[in-house]
Amino acid sequence: MSDLTATTVPGARAGLPWGQWWSQLRAIVRLELRKGFRRSFGLLLLALMPPFIAAMHMIKAVRDTSDIAGATQVFAGLIYQAFTLRIVIFLACVLIFGNLIRRETLDRSLHYYFLSPVRRELLVVAKYVTGLIVSFGLFGTTTVLAFVLTYLPYDSTAVSQFLFHGPGLGHLASYLLVTFLACLGYGAVFLFFGFFFKSPAMPALVVFGWEGIHFLLPPLLKEISVIHYLQSLCPVPVSEGPLAMLSDAPAPWVSIVGLCALAVVLVAVSAWKIRRMEITYEEA
Amino acid sequence: MTTDTTASRVHFENVSKFYGDVLGVNRVNLSIPPGITGLVGPNGSGKTTLMNMMVGLIQPSRGRISVLGITPGQPEELFRKVGYASQYDAFPPGLTGYQFIESYLRVHGFSAREAEAMAWKAIERVGLVEPAKRKVAGYSKGMRQRIRLAQALAHEPAVMVLDEPLNGLDPMARAEAIDLFRELADGGLHVIVSSHILHEVDLISDQVVLINGGYIVAEGDIGDVRDEMEEEHPVQVLVRCDRPSLLASKVFEQDHVVEARILDKGQGLLVRTRDADKFHLVLNDIVMETGIAVEAVAPADADVNAVYQYLIGSNGGKL
Repeated sequence: MSDLTATTVPGARAGLPWGQWWSQLRAIVRLELRKGFRRSFGLLLLALMPPFIAAMHMIKAVRDTSDIAGATQVFAGLIYQAFTLRIVIFLACVLIFGNLIRRETLDRSLHYYFLSPVRRELLVVAKYVTGLIVSFGLFGTTTVLAFVLTYLPYDSTAVSQFLFHGPGLGHLASYLLVTFLACLGYGAVFLFFGFFFKSPAMPALVVFGWEGIHFLLPPLLKEISVIHYLQSLCPVPVSEGPLAMLSDAPAPWVSIVGLCALAVVLVAVSAWKIRRMEITYEEA
Repeated sequence: MTTDTTASRVHFENVSKFYGDVLGVNRVNLSIPPGITGLVGPNGSGKTTLMNMMVGLIQPSRGRISVLGITPGQPEELFRKVGYASQYDAFPPGLTGYQFIESYLRVHGFSAREAEAMAWKAIERVGLVEPAKRKVAGYSKGMRQRIRLAQALAHEPAVMVLDEPLNGLDPMARAEAIDLFRELADGGLHVIVSSHILHEVDLISDQVVLINGGYIVAEGDIGDVRDEMEEEHPVQVLVRCDRPSLLASKVFEQDHVVEARILDKGQGLLVRTRDADKFHLVLNDIVMETGIAVEAVAPADADVNAVYQYLIGSNGGKL
């Protein structure tokens, strides 16, 4: 038909075509990044909020620059756990993962993927990976920035001691791990909801409420929440107030494996769902 | 159905699609060979449903579909051979025309170099080289139609499924698109084109599938379909000649002629016959015998428009 018929058309090979899947996954991630997240002002605003709170604390902390332990508590309790983890990352995951499929259903462009020689399961995985790259890229940076700003006004020798000879860098690494696992867990939850609800707002509100009252729940119910496992990985324990129901924190490996397993199951169900999905934009 | 036939055709076997209680298409049996196939029917007749089922965007409620032996449930194989330009006038946001084509070629699994070469070739074929670096969002309707066409043919498929591909194109672009379809079909491809404009399809199709209310009402070469209707709807033949009255008296002697009407200004005769082949032979004899000067002989109702009109009582033209 043309002189291009000589080009290498990727086809099925013996065994599972891992190489082909890998190149398709990279192509989908590249396309998603190219089209999806460049002008997301809502996300940018969310990402700027923790550093903003840290900056506010920085102004306040100028009066007493020796209380590193106090700064550690402020970052752990107020900036990270209460604000970044429970509000900012949660909302960002609703925005990013809840719209991975829904946005393209609304703008009627999902069929271009469905008309490509790509397994739909791979499409879900690639979109989820894109969401992880964007969310962790954004909120990992935000976490580091807020962490730096929190300690910036303090005495440099004390900060250096805390970071390089104390637990400082270990704390930062733990916060980054928690941020990643939060994106992984909440991301999978909202990707999954994206397939079962027309709008992610209502289920997101329910999950937000559930995660919000987590500290009031009896131990058994606490285990059915993402925040329960994330909190247990945070390096600095934070008081949840007098009304909190006390329970044993899960072991770190249980939290990590549990959140990864949750993500795998929810992404697998989403992949099963997309395999049966029909393009009927009229109903979107 | 042999394996050879299956591997070279698009098959629908007793396919039905219901949207809840609403009928999409019912008991469709089709076997589409290479060449240009026109899928014709009014809006809502089931054309898009058939096309969407062919590529797996929707699944049939009943029946089986295969495209060159591949079912729509095997997208990894199917879309190496099929390109589909849908009617959805929507694009991924933020991409230029070139990026749109190139990105999806990469999703196919082509290398960056191959994707670039194939994207430019497809863009060139639809005449969009100049605006290819502009955002698709700024394109006119005709340009958007052409970039969708380019996307569908960029990976060099063996089957092109095009839903209303001429919509929104200006006459020049329309002619170029038709030439492109012809070129593709002449290269051995299946080009399946839907339209609700009859004369457009008549012009470009090697065979047609007429659909109405979710049912296939006729399929095949339009001439053959018309021939099958001769008994119920005698063929109309227009004869432009100098002595229409004499010709009328002569043709009336034939038992297959059911009507002969002299045209208003006496410039010819409109004959309705149940056997067009026999009529043409008889006409030769009459001309030899009487010396009537015949200027032109042409079928008056052998086009898809007339066939559709007879089959479903439509007014033809734009359905």
